[in-house]
Parts: sequence; structure tokens; C-alpha cells
Amino acid sequence: MDLLKRPMLRFALCLMILCFSLGASADWLWGSDEQPQPRVKVVKPFIEWRTGPASGYPVFHASEKGEWLTLLKRKTAWLKVNDEKGREGWVHVEDVLETVDATGEKVVLNEPRFDDFGSRRWEMGLLMGQFEEAASTAIYGGYQMTENLSAELWATQILGSASEIQMYNVNIVHQPFPDWQLSPFMTLGAGHIFIEPKSTLAVPEDRDNSIGHAGLGVRAYVTDNYFIRAEVKDYKIFTSRATNEEALEWKIGLSIFF
Amino acid sequence: MENRTKHIFLTRLSLASLVMFSGLTAAQEDERPLIEPDVQPQKVDEALIDTENFEIGAFVGILNIEDFESSFLWGGKLTYHLSERVFFEANVGFAEGGETSFEKLAGNVQVLSDDDRDYRYYNVNIGFNLLPGEAFLTEDYAFNTNFYLVGGAGATEFGGDTRFTANAGVGYQVLLTDSLAVQFVVREHLYRIDVLGEEKTSMNTEVSTGLSVFF
Repeated sequence: MDLLKRPMLRFALCLMILCFSLGASADWLWGSDEQPQPRVKVVKPFIEWRTGPASGYPVFHASEKGEWLTLLKRKTAWLKVNDEKGREGWVHVEDVLETVDATGEKVVLNEPRFDDFGSRRWEMGLLMGQFEEAASTAIYGGYQMTENLSAELWATQILGSASEIQMYNVNIVHQPFPDWQLSPFMTLGAGHIFIEPKSTLAVPEDRDNSIGHAGLGVRAYVTDNYFIRAEVKDYKIFTSRATNEEALEWKIGLSIFF
Repeated sequence: MENRTKHIFLTRLSLASLVMFSGLTAAQEDERPLIEPDVQPQKVDEALIDTENFEIGAFVGILNIEDFESSFLWGGKLTYHLSERVFFEANVGFAEGGETSFEKLAGNVQVLSDDDRDYRYYNVNIGFNLLPGEAFLTEDYAFNTNFYLVGGAGATEFGGDTRFTANAGVGYQVLLTDSLAVQFVVREHLYRIDVLGEEKTSMNTEVSTGLSVFF
């Protein structure tokens, strides 16, 4: 029972913090409604309403041309609306983009497209793969400085049967063809590697070395604001011994851009 | 006679023009609203539309740790919905391993120290809303639901060792409101471990339920 109490308590604390933060966020999100929600007017013959934010949900109503809809909230590509009779439902963003606002102009919502992929500023993602024989998981964030050049920060965890490795890298990425949907890049960087051998091995000795790397990869734009990223990197581990070590890593993952 | 005709013609003309003119001014007056609105017509400001693509939550459940009994599990998750179908999910979970059958039978033996019995995992997954649906509570009250598949990878810390861990599972989510959801998850965690001598694949089943909020 003692074993149960501690995690229970920690869990309850977490729940409390969660509830508190939700209460706080609810206040600034919904608490003071000074500005009215935006309204749009249907100009197509009709707009279909669904019961939920996915195309699998059934259509239960349609707004006719000339009706006014209030935009309440958004989940992925679906907007929750209500009309003057107080009905509520979900309409697709493509339908909302064909409505007009009170000034009579077409509604403009920021829909990420391939064009934005070229002009992105920030990207972040998660990649998985192999570092030599071991499984490697990495997260990164990048800032695009020019069309061709970006700087990135990586944190990698490598879990093998002989050791646990943590690796941090800074690198510069050059993409020669920023307009391509499938855009190759090359990269150069440096960092630090922390190797912790498994305790079951005979002489466990923690190691902490500098590393440098060069790599090749590709970014493939998928849709909206995400893309697939795949890369191969060759690491040089600078040891204090007579010879340096080399390691090859490949990984693939999904990234989002802003 | 001529004068008279002129007179009639002219008066008629002036009358007609008068009528036309007054009609015109009346029409002009009609176009103006009775009360001038104070507000200018507003363009749609996207910032006023609350987007709810993120979801944060906590869960509790039972984790069956292979060879080390089943124990209470708790944790948190963060989800980002890319589209109506696809989402990213990150989890952290905490549990504590129990005793092996050997420890129970032999009495005074300990395979692992208390610290090494702490079980921690994290994972990052891709999920797929396979069957969106509705659950009907009463005749006119329905909850939106999602039956989803989820799978990915991460790490498990247990027995003084951190191991790469793959996981896959299914979940059933019931949206109590648009922003509040309850979910039931069954998930299998797989990793290689050598805590009991030789290295083997450890299968750990998680059954959990949680509450999450969209923001």
C-alpha cells in the first residue's frame, strides 16, 4: 500500500496543477469576451454542416445563400459555427473560404500551402533511425536564415544493448534547390556526445567526447505545414586515444514548419 | 391660346420635375438607415477564432511489467492534431515494478533495488483516427467519439537500464464537450532487457484511462 500512496499523491498533484492551469487558461481564452466572434455570409448556393470535425460525421443541416454564420472555433480543417437560429455545427474550412465578411470581401484565413514551405522561418521535428547498430531518436529545431541556409539544434538519444548515448549538435544546413517539393540538403555540424556504458559490462567508464559530422538528406513537403525529413550523417568522434571513432547514422521523421 | 397651352405645358413640366425631384430626394433619404450604426463592418480576424489542435491530458491505469507483477500507472500526454485523421502524441508514464515470483518464493532475495524498480517511459507516436463516430447516450444527446490506432517509439527506464521501446495500441476517445475528452487505451510496450540474466523481449501491456483538454 505504501508503494501505491506515493505515486497516487504525485498524480493527484499533477491533476491539480493541470486543472489549475486549465482554469487559468480558460479565463484568458474565454473569460472576457470583448470582441464579438467573426461572422461570415454564405454566397455559395449552400454549405453543409456536420455533427463533428471530420468528414466521417453525418451532414445534418445546410446553410443557404445569404445566411450569416458566426465562426466559433477551429479544429484542424473544420470550423465550428452557429447561425441566427442558434444551431451549432462544423463546416469545412474550404467552404468558409468561399464566404464573404461584413465588408463584402472574401474571407481570408491563413491556410498553409506549399508556397509557405519555401518561405518558412522555423521548423521542428522528430526523427528516428539507427546510429550504427543502436536505435536513435532525435528532436530538432531549425531557423531558416536565408532561402538556402538554416541553422539547427539537435538532441539525440541513442539506446543500444551496450551503452546509452546522449548527443547534442549544432549544424548548418544548405539546400541548393529551395523551390523543389522534394528538396535535398547537405549539412555540417559539431557537438558533444555522452556515452554511458551498461553497468553489466566489465569496466564501465563514462565518456564525454566532442564530435563533428557531415550529412546528406532530403525534405519532402507533404501537405499543410508538415514535411517528411530523412537524412544520413557520418559522425567523427574525437577521442583522447590514438584513433578517432566513426559512426554512421540514418533517420527519418516528420517535421512541422511555421 | 398659345400662351395658355404654353402655360399648361410649363406648369405640367415644372410639376413633373417637382414630383421627380421630390421622389429622388425621398429615394435618397430612404437609402440612409434610420439609425447610423456606430460600428464599421469588420473583416474576419483569424486571431479571434480559437484553434484547438493541441490536447493535454493525464491518465491512470495498470501496467503489466513482465516478470514484475502489474502495478499502478500514471502519466501525462500531449497531442497535436495535424488533420482530422492524423495526430502526433507524446506520453510519459510512471510505475513501480513489483516482485518476481522467484523473490516471493525464495523469501529473502532481491533481484532489484528499490530505486531500480522505478519504471519510467516516454514515447512519441503517430496516431490515426480510424473510426470517427457518435455515441448516443439518450434519444437526443450524442457524444462525438474516435476509435484510433497509435504506434511509435521511445525509451523505458527500468532495472537500472534505459532501453529503446516500441509501442502500439488502440484507443477509444469520447468527447464530453468540444474541448474535454475521456479516453480508454490499451497499448503494448516492447523492449529488449537482460535484467533476469539473458537478454529477451519484454512485453508490457498498459490499460489506462485519461482525461484531456483541447487548447
